[in-house]
Amino acid sequence: MPASRFTQTGNYRVRYQQDQTIFATYAEQLSLVVLLLALLLLPLLISKTLLRDVNMIMIYAVAVIGLNVTTGYTGLINIGQAAFMAVGAYATALAATKLNLPFFLAIPLGGLAGAVVGTFVGLPSLRLKYLYLAVATLAFQIIFEWTVGHSPLLAQGGAIILPPVEVFGIKATFLNHNKVWYYIILPVLVVMGLLWRNILRSKHGRSFIAVRDNDRAAAAMGINPGVTKLTAFLVGSFFAGIAGGLFAYFQKAVVIEDYGLHTSVQLLAMAIVGGLGSVPGSFLGPLFIVALDRGMGGLSNFMSERQIFPPGVDAATALRPLAFGLSIMLFLIYEPRGLANWWRLSRMYFKKWPYKF
Amino acid sequence: MPQLHVDNVTLSFGGLNALSTVSLTVPEGEVVSIIGPNGAGKTSLLNCISGFYHPTRGRITFGEHDLSKAAPNVVTRYGIARAFQNLELFRGMTVVENLLLARHTHLNYNLLDSILYYGKASRVEAENRHYVEQIIDFMELEEYRHHHVGTLAYGVQKRVEVARALTLQPKLLLLDEPMAGMNVEEKEDMVRFILDIQRERGVTVVLIEHDLGVVMDISDRVYVLDFGQLIAGGTPEDVSADPRVIEAYTGVAEHEPLPQASPSPAQAVAR
Repeated sequence: MPASRFTQTGNYRVRYQQDQTIFATYAEQLSLVVLLLALLLLPLLISKTLLRDVNMIMIYAVAVIGLNVTTGYTGLINIGQAAFMAVGAYATALAATKLNLPFFLAIPLGGLAGAVVGTFVGLPSLRLKYLYLAVATLAFQIIFEWTVGHSPLLAQGGAIILPPVEVFGIKATFLNHNKVWYYIILPVLVVMGLLWRNILRSKHGRSFIAVRDNDRAAAAMGINPGVTKLTAFLVGSFFAGIAGGLFAYFQKAVVIEDYGLHTSVQLLAMAIVGGLGSVPGSFLGPLFIVALDRGMGGLSNFMSERQIFPPGVDAATALRPLAFGLSIMLFLIYEPRGLANWWRLSRMYFKKWPYKF
Repeated sequence: MPQLHVDNVTLSFGGLNALSTVSLTVPEGEVVSIIGPNGAGKTSLLNCISGFYHPTRGRITFGEHDLSKAAPNVVTRYGIARAFQNLELFRGMTVVENLLLARHTHLNYNLLDSILYYGKASRVEAENRHYVEQIIDFMELEEYRHHHVGTLAYGVQKRVEVARALTLQPKLLLLDEPMAGMNVEEKEDMVRFILDIQRERGVTVVLIEHDLGVVMDISDRVYVLDFGQLIAGGTPEDVSADPRVIEAYTGVAEHEPLPQASPSPAQAVAR
């Protein structure tokens, strides 16, 4: 009989399937339920502008999980994640406007489009490694932006307006847009997170990590490195496509500027700050970068109120990239494993608490 | 009968022949050792068998499978596993994860199953774990089960490397210097494991090893390579008596008289 299911201490697993659990103790399961409840109630507690930021964070989190699949877990540096997002966004927009599909079909379609294009773009990864592959994905980013800019079907990069959605009889309007989308994005994020966690504890997840760590040995284990890399691109860009579809609806329109190289770099920064190759990092990274961005905005307002700079100077335009670059550098130097490492350490502590082991 | 045939294999890099017209046979169920001085081409031969190199000329067959052009992951599927000379473990993973990974080809479920996980994938993974635990038991790795491989002692890592190759359920196991850098006790343990692998599990073993004492003790058959050429092959007794083998190892042919006169000081310095 276990001493108490609330802590890990004194609990023994007697079947191998018990060793597969993600949330092992009651304490962990309880904290998950509490977290989900808190998230469900969140829109009632915070302001509209803050809710907008939370929505952005959650959409970025979906894309960053996808980026972690390719870059974090499989070790294929990808500087084209925003372009994969854009593929999803445009596919969703076309499905919604030309085919009049409802959003719950249009967004998965965006994900599939992202997956197909991503797998195709992943083909160079069979021959290229490291920085050379990064250049190949960068090339796709540039080519995609150029192509969109020259195709009349995609409004030459201008705005494609998406129709407002209706969920369970509630129509998204100007007033409740953020709230409605919060309740759509949250379940999508939870489901996508669970899907990735499932892949991670199966043979596919293991083969991704194996190819990243040592592709020679992976081949000797009977793993086909080429197929594994393409699978990673497939999964990673599926996540990007879903994120793009959500982003398109959330922004009410698709504009190519939202999916530029800048966004790709930002997603990469989120993955690095959160911790490459970690699940919690995919949530913490976007949270940190968006919070940093807003924090710099606040600091700039504060400074102009105190008239530190002459009136008319917007310090935020200088502060944002400065803080962004500085935080990436500091993380790479002092905590290369990212925020996820702090998360892991604190979790380790509480897992055993109040015992020592 | 899965039997390994190496037939007139030549492997050249540019003008250099790492292997030239090497032919040998590994019968099922035996321990076959390949020995030779450093740079003789032993590891190159193993690389050819396991698909990392493809022979320039010649053929390698395993049962009815042709290995001459096969990729490493295909060779593994045919039932040939390999433990590397320089440890090629996944250092960031635990011992158990390394072994779970090795059964990749035996796990029969697709990407959709792993996305849903509950049901088929979960069941197969539990069976996988069950099998891996048997290997852990067999190779006496229980206490290191959840240790990260990078943190383990060298001798234990070598054992994990062999265990991982064994987890692939091979018919033929290629061991590239499994005892290099080990002390006597660890060597004895490893010899015991190799013999158990051959006798209890019926796995054919190809062994590359520098410790001639070990090789002569446990091998059913020994092949000797020197400068990419097969210079001798046969039972340990035959091979150890072969003058060409002695020449390759000592640099002096037995029938030649050893130099009698002590070298002058100038010659000694020149050496």
